[in-house]
Amino acid sequence: MANLTMKKADIIAVAIVIPICLYVFYESVKWPVPALLGRPFVIPRGVATFLLVAVFLLLYRAMKGRALELEKRLEGADLWRVIGAAVLTFGYLFVVERIGFFGTTLLYMLLFALVLGERRWPRLVLFAILVPLIAYVLFSTALHVPLPRGWIENSLRDHGLALIF
Amino acid sequence: MVDLNLLLHGFATVLSGYNIVALVLGSFFGIIIGAIPGLTATMGIALLVPFTFGMNPITGIVMLLGIYTGAIYGGGIASILIKTPGTPAAAATVFDGYPLAQKGMAGKAIGMATVASGIGGTFTALCLTFFAPILAKFALRFSAPEYFALAVFGLSVTVTLTGKSPLKGIISGCLGLLIAMVGLDPMGGFPRFTFGTTQLTGGFSFVPMLIGLFALSEGFRQVEVILTAPKVSAVLTNIIPTLRELRECTKTFVRSCIIGLIVGVTPAIGAETACFIGYSEAKRTSKHPELFGTGILEGVAAPQCAENASTGGDVLPMMTLGLPGDAATAVLMGALTIHNLQPGPLLFRDHLDLVHQMFAGMIVANLVYVILGLTFARLFAKVINIDRRFLVPLIFIACMVGSYAIGNDIFDMVTCVFFGFIGYIMIRYDYPVSPMVLAQILGVMMESNFRRSMAMSQDHLSILVTRPIAVTILILAAFTTITGIRRQRKALRQQAAMEAAASSGGAQG
Repeated sequence: MANLTMKKADIIAVAIVIPICLYVFYESVKWPVPALLGRPFVIPRGVATFLLVAVFLLLYRAMKGRALELEKRLEGADLWRVIGAAVLTFGYLFVVERIGFFGTTLLYMLLFALVLGERRWPRLVLFAILVPLIAYVLFSTALHVPLPRGWIENSLRDHGLALIF
Repeated sequence: MVDLNLLLHGFATVLSGYNIVALVLGSFFGIIIGAIPGLTATMGIALLVPFTFGMNPITGIVMLLGIYTGAIYGGGIASILIKTPGTPAAAATVFDGYPLAQKGMAGKAIGMATVASGIGGTFTALCLTFFAPILAKFALRFSAPEYFALAVFGLSVTVTLTGKSPLKGIISGCLGLLIAMVGLDPMGGFPRFTFGTTQLTGGFSFVPMLIGLFALSEGFRQVEVILTAPKVSAVLTNIIPTLRELRECTKTFVRSCIIGLIVGVTPAIGAETACFIGYSEAKRTSKHPELFGTGILEGVAAPQCAENASTGGDVLPMMTLGLPGDAATAVLMGALTIHNLQPGPLLFRDHLDLVHQMFAGMIVANLVYVILGLTFARLFAKVINIDRRFLVPLIFIACMVGSYAIGNDIFDMVTCVFFGFIGYIMIRYDYPVSPMVLAQILGVMMESNFRRSMAMSQDHLSILVTRPIAVTILILAAFTTITGIRRQRKALRQQAAMEAAASSGGAQG
């Protein structure tokens, strides 16, 4: 996957930040100004103005070709792996409450290690089972944090693992 | 002044029961985090903060202090053994540490690094113990305008001294300020930037955001480049340094302790800077500067002592003024707030016993990692080769579950992942993450104190420039900003000149 140049990255950053600043001005118009509490819009608008000036300077610098150089592409760097990890992680957030912590984490650990290139299956499976199990015991039992429960936790509890699940 | 009775009581508390166990475990974990290249002290603290949530405040705090000091020291182990700093703070240890290892003196180098770190760390912890109450007493005189000025100073130093470009530091800091404004208005109580969602009414949860920006973002970096550390081949023998070797380094210890303390107290710079200054000063003042870089113990002692001497200096403004010295202390500050402790002068007024326990914890933490470092040096050397294909998913899951554990809320997990990804992109494109986090702490301080000042003066800005302490701090802030920007412009001009020279050379060729 091709890397963005620093110049393009700076221009994209400017394109993201300008609407954020404009939104600050838009929303701050709607705020009430209570008497003797200082003006609530001064700091937000001040920061947004300062930020606008900074991003326009960044844009100027990028357009003039004075953008800082991007770090050299490291050997073995793989952006596809990052995208894979990000998709897996956002997917995890989406399903963890539905499926439950144990099942989702088991699958997540297995797929994540595969994305990172691990292919030693016995180790992989052991790792994928042990991590959610230890995390579950540590958080639920020792730290009293009720992790999201699903059918796996419920069925394990019904089959004699009530102490843990 | 420090209350010696409370301090002795603090030692008794820290050395008793679960507290000392937590401190030793924290220190052990910290050294491991420090020894693994790519993992930082900030990341270690961020990862462990959720585990301390259910603990007694002092148990949790000493555990985090153990991680902090242990990780700063642990970075030197990888520097010596594989020529790769475990943490950025140990970069200068490579210069003489690795040549010593090549000469077959890896054990000696690690021993000296451990003792030097302990001396620097203990010195700075003692300074913290004696100076913090004085500074806090002075800060009790501060009112809203002074706190506003202090926040402006902290912000200006942070954005201009962090990262390669002050401009990108400013952008990162301003975005942090805007993120800090999400939620209810601090004085009016009306919602701001919540997009109508109730989950954002209280703003973004600070600790999940910290975990995301400092730990998960590094996790994404590790996914991008799976580091395979060179195998540690050195055999560690004669680890404990002799009295003669320590005596030869006495001047180096004194110099590095002072350098570390001064660098630590300066906001936004910490151990990373202290180690280089410590090393270069030791070389400059040495009778044999030509030996530096060839593998001498002084070259290991100077940076290790300076980097650990910066820890107390970093903690000092955080505890007394609520102004974090660097990213790691920003995370420590976040940890204190989840235990309902607000760093600042009021901490010294309302929780004096706990403050003294923290001082004692800081001193003991520096002794604990020395004992652990000298005892388990061989074990810590093995940790360097841990398989990243298993470590990285572990970091991810620890970040997410840790964030969830703070409020049992899936939204905290989402916050952590969202900011983790943002942090990764920022690091990748040279936007420093620390200003964004520090700005969130200082932003709240700045805005609420500005509003209070305006309320005090009936909306007259003159209150900010008519009070001597406030105006002095504001002048300092302006001076620091201008100096920082000029320094950066000079660096850019030099870079442009070098590029021009290189291209003209290429054209001629």
